[in-house]
Amino acid sequence: MAKDVKPTRKELMQIEDRIELSERGHGTLEKKRDGLIMEFMDILDKAQDVRGDLADDYEAAQTKINMARAMEGDVAVRGAAAALQEHPEITTESKNIMGVVVPQIESSRVSKDLGQRGYGIMGTSARIDEAAEAYEDLLESIILAAEVETAMKKMLTEIETTKRRVNALEFKLLPELYENQDYIEQKLEEQEREEIFRLKKIKEKKEQEEKEARQAEADTGSTGEVDAEQATAGGVPGGD
Amino acid sequence: MSSSASNPEYVNARVRSRRNALFSDEDYRKLIRMGPSEIARFMEEHEYEEEINRLGARFSGVDLIEYSLNRNLAKHFDDLLEWADGRVYDQIARYLRKFDVWNVKTIIRGIYTDTPSEEIGTDLIRAGELPDRTVDRLLEVETIEDVIEVLEGTLFYEPLDSAYEHYEETGALVPLENALDRAFYENLLGDLGRPTEGPEAMYVEFLQAEIDFRNARNALRLARSGADLDPAEFYIEGGVLFDRSELSRLVSDYDALVDHIADDPRYGDRLDAALARLREADSLIAFEHAVDAALLEYSDRLSSVYPVSVSAVFSYILAKEREVENIRAIARGREVGLSEEEIEEELVIL
Repeated sequence: MAKDVKPTRKELMQIEDRIELSERGHGTLEKKRDGLIMEFMDILDKAQDVRGDLADDYEAAQTKINMARAMEGDVAVRGAAAALQEHPEITTESKNIMGVVVPQIESSRVSKDLGQRGYGIMGTSARIDEAAEAYEDLLESIILAAEVETAMKKMLTEIETTKRRVNALEFKLLPELYENQDYIEQKLEEQEREEIFRLKKIKEKKEQEEKEARQAEADTGSTGEVDAEQATAGGVPGGD
Repeated sequence: MSSSASNPEYVNARVRSRRNALFSDEDYRKLIRMGPSEIARFMEEHEYEEEINRLGARFSGVDLIEYSLNRNLAKHFDDLLEWADGRVYDQIARYLRKFDVWNVKTIIRGIYTDTPSEEIGTDLIRAGELPDRTVDRLLEVETIEDVIEVLEGTLFYEPLDSAYEHYEETGALVPLENALDRAFYENLLGDLGRPTEGPEAMYVEFLQAEIDFRNARNALRLARSGADLDPAEFYIEGGVLFDRSELSRLVSDYDALVDHIADDPRYGDRLDAALARLREADSLIAFEHAVDAALLEYSDRLSSVYPVSVSAVFSYILAKEREVENIRAIARGREVGLSEEEIEEELVIL
């Protein structure tokens, strides 16, 4: 990764911005994950209770319907069920638990009284009433279990996603960004060192050149004096 | 209704042999230990051979048993009406009309739920007074209004016709079903008067018990359910346990209602144990069970006190009904996994 990064100051600033954002995101996601887990534990307790009630209600309803089928006959039980006029209805809304949209199921016309079940009272028995009542209770439990367990599953999916995001930030993205940051910083420092060295070298070279130039100049000056002296000495004897 | 002279002796003589074919306690003890297919085999080897063989290709398991029991019951009760003439016919028919009520209710429920007429026909028990051709015509019609039209001339026509408006308003079958049941119960005693001695007195006492127990069951169910229903609507005339205003008053006070039944001189002792359980537990089932046992006891007394009257025929009708219910209970009980003890507890055997 680091090899693909351009070691520029601009890139470093961008990476620093990303690190800051990722660290903030990591903290927030960690808090969200912990909150979701706490909410999930509450829902889990509720779901366990609801499951227990559902199993009890199912067993009770089966016992009642079995008794009704045995004592009244299948035909009578089927007939009483056929007379039902108002079938149960459910409506679903949604509520938000820490950003997770979970269903809220509202049921109506599930529990009925004797006059609402559709069958005539004079020709039926308490066994049919008790079986109907037990199944109404069971249906209520199923609806509640559907609501709680769907919420639980959605929370679980969200916890998993959040956990993956936290881990991705913690173990992948942030380490890479830190690595890139280090890489660029090192590169930049190296470049700085090279620059200083280069400048030093240039300066040295320049100084050397200047020195040489000065030397050369000095050398040139001393040679001229000697010639002049020689020229002066030669003219005098000729004047004799 | 037959207009010839009454012939209770003849009917009784025919019934006696049928009574001997009923399953004994020993048979029940064997049946309780059997699975559904063994029960079907046992039935085939005894009284129910024809029905099991006829229905064996269409049904299996407990359905075969239940439908065979219903067919056999219908055959026997149809024979009773065939043999009876005059007053004895009338006395038998007024009780067997409960099967007409069952059939009309089943047909109405079938039409209400768009069930094919073949399926509805399977659930019928043709043991009532309505002739087969009327029942077949009822199966052919497509609306509840047409069912009422077909029943014109029977005792069910007027109550159904009156209840139909209420049905149209509410869309619920309750008014029609209640009208049918009320027509049946209120015609049970009809013009019988209140004889104080002889076989007729016992017969009337039995029918009164049937009405009283039905009123008691309904009152207890209404009291327990807390439904916003007028108890007077479900009151059946003819019994001695409640009058209309008494019933309306007692439905709002469950304990007073139970006390009222317990204090009754005619039924208090018979239902004592069941009422005690009713006070302790929330379930009405034990009470209904006790009521069924009390009715069977009545019927047994009917046969022994006046053996050549209609009372003995009645005793047979109840015993046969009980046999059908017991075998069905055993078979269904075994099918759904009830233990032998649980099934035994539910059986009503004298």
